[in-house]
Amino acid sequence: MIASIAWKNVWRNKPRSLIVICSITLGTVAGVFVAGLMNGWVDQRIKDVIYTQMSHIKLRNPNYLINEESQYTISDYQQITSFIDTASEVKNWCSRLTIMAMATTSRGSCGLILKGIDPENEKRVSNIQELILPGGGNYFGEQTKLPPVLIGDKAAELLRIKSFRIDDRVLDSLRKLQLPETTINKLKQIADIRFVTDRKFKKALNSCLTSAEIRKYGPYIIDLAKYYHPKAKITFSFTNAKGELSYQTFQVCGIFKTSNSTFDQSSAFVQSSVLSMAAGFGENAFHEIAILLKNGDSDLIPFSEKLSNTFNNANVMTWKKMAPDAGLMADFMNFYYFMIMGIIFFALAFGIINTMMMAILERIKELGMLMAIGMSKRKVFSMIMLETVFLTLIGSILGMLLGAALIGITGRVGLNFASIAEGFEAIGYSAVVYPSISSSFFIGVTVMVIVIGILSSIIPARKALKQNPVESLRIE
Amino acid sequence: MKVIEIKHIVKIYTEAELEVIAVNGVSLDFDEGEFTAIVGPSGSGKTTLLNMIGGLDNPSSGEILIGGMSITSLKGSELTNFRMRNIGFVFQSYNLIPVLTAKENTEFVMNLQGKSKRECETRSLELLKAVGLEERVNARPAKLSGGQQQRVAVARALAAKPKFVLADEPTANLDSKATETLLEIREKLNRKENITFIFSTHDNRVVKKARRVITLEDGKILSDIKKNGSD
Ligand SMILES: Nc1ncnc2c1ncn2[C@@H]1O[C@H](COP(=O)(O)OP(=O)(O)OP(=O)(O)O)[C@@H](O)[C@H]1O
Ligand SMILES: [Mg+2]
Repeated sequence: MIASIAWKNVWRNKPRSLIVICSITLGTVAGVFVAGLMNGWVDQRIKDVIYTQMSHIKLRNPNYLINEESQYTISDYQQITSFIDTASEVKNWCSRLTIMAMATTSRGSCGLILKGIDPENEKRVSNIQELILPGGGNYFGEQTKLPPVLIGDKAAELLRIKSFRIDDRVLDSLRKLQLPETTINKLKQIADIRFVTDRKFKKALNSCLTSAEIRKYGPYIIDLAKYYHPKAKITFSFTNAKGELSYQTFQVCGIFKTSNSTFDQSSAFVQSSVLSMAAGFGENAFHEIAILLKNGDSDLIPFSEKLSNTFNNANVMTWKKMAPDAGLMADFMNFYYFMIMGIIFFALAFGIINTMMMAILERIKELGMLMAIGMSKRKVFSMIMLETVFLTLIGSILGMLLGAALIGITGRVGLNFASIAEGFEAIGYSAVVYPSISSSFFIGVTVMVIVIGILSSIIPARKALKQNPVESLRIE
Repeated sequence: MKVIEIKHIVKIYTEAELEVIAVNGVSLDFDEGEFTAIVGPSGSGKTTLLNMIGGLDNPSSGEILIGGMSITSLKGSELTNFRMRNIGFVFQSYNLIPVLTAKENTEFVMNLQGKSKRECETRSLELLKAVGLEERVNARPAKLSGGQQQRVAVARALAAKPKFVLADEPTANLDSKATETLLEIREKLNRKENITFIFSTHDNRVVKKARRVITLEDGKILSDIKKNGSD
């Protein structure tokens, strides 16, 4: 009965209640969406860190960490691999050679890490094969004259094997995309000129198109004009197992692009059999073993400890240690989200208290009457508390529904931060964010809202209880 | 049988270092089924006396026994609980909860007492019928006239079967027609339920109907007249 009266009391002054409810709704939507955006970001980064770059756990020679020289391969390789082969926690694993190398083409050069992998095993641990760009070849698929290498988009740019050119084919495709003829005519000014970097091509576009045209058609033009030189040859120089300088020339078979441009610049994948031969390593010489766990959350620490206790000669590192920023975020994410919500609700609490105070003050006589006819203080208190909680809950539930819908929509479509993307991609965050949030977040927020409602009701409720029924009935 | 026994109660208010003796040594008894009107000029202490009988206020000295039990020693929540179980109240105004219907208002105290839904329903409908509002059971107070609101308040006061009903100037805001109706209803209920009623009033029509008239002046009893056969 108290609850039903409290509920009806919420709607006594509709405009006033609706104003508070609206402000709570808006605050909740904002908080939920910001949390969803952050979560989407961090989630993508963590997935990227685990599935593209680090895997869950890596084993390496401790000396390799101090000095990345190719001689420091993993000792006890066979014992370790037979151990992880039988460990129930392990989903998949693969081993890699990682050798610092200088890549050179006839037009450019860059330093990177040459990773010798077994293409089949690698697929089970990392998703690199899914990240091959359209028009960028394939994952060790075709037969090449020279051994194949997979390089990143950024490295391709530095090595000048990526270029941009507007030719008749590009113009034709743009026509099919129904670009206005005026725009296409403008593009003819820069037709058949080869631009070897992103920057130079964008600059050229800027000079001949209006900014509105670039905003509208820019991505399509860049995509179509982009051109990778198939089967370009790259010579890598590196120190071999004996400490001498060696050379090996590879042919590009595929170009990948992750959301981390630093990774794209600094990694190149080749077959470990080729690299091992070229660098003079034995059969079981590898620099790292990457392990993917079945349960990456709960087994991460226990299994890594188990490994490091079993193999004293190996350094065992979890992804949280290898990418501390992402690890920290993964651990504190929830705390951040609740902090955002907490700050928003703290601010809203003042509005709630104010509204409830008004509601109490205009009902002083009625409350006096209720206490006079025998409603206990406890019941009066619960009535006011419930009123506050209802008010807060209506607003926040509406806000959560709207926020969830917003996250649902943007999470499917993705939010493109392309205009500021280069900065994000450089630090490992994707330019397109897919907001997401777990359902436990909403449970947490609901609990939080109830607590805030209860806390905000204390001041108004105390005000109501201080009234002496005789006094309040006397006032005319 | 004595429902209420008042033993020499005094109520002194201190305001700005000035003592106001609102009730000055009043001793009274009320019998079961009695209908008493308390009259007297404004400021004579009628409201103060009723509040003390109703356990809303404590006397400065003296004792009040209800059903043989002293209420002057009860504290806070005990007193609230006591009021809820034993006393029906009708105030001059602000009697009803605006968000509840006539029926829900009537059931309110019964609900507080923890009576079953069915019991509440039967009793409230019976009483609303008795006060002539069987057609307005689902109306909210704002949709009722002042007289109708007071009748709902009487129904609510009686619904929980109190030992007695206290009404402080219940007809002050009513016109003569509504006052007549309320008095008739009171009479009918008094006969039916044999409940003790104490009204404070300035209204002669109420005084005429009462079986006992107590006149207060300056907090003292000026006269206490029991009429016979006027009911
Ligand atoms: N809370 C209070 N503080 C100070 N004085 C009070 C208080 N309540 C009542 N009084 C005083 O006590 C006296 C009796 O007041 P009371 O309200 O009981 O009179 P009343 O007979 O009900 O008058 P009315 O017919 O106007 O309702 C008055 O002089 C009043 O000023
Ligand atoms: Mg009075």
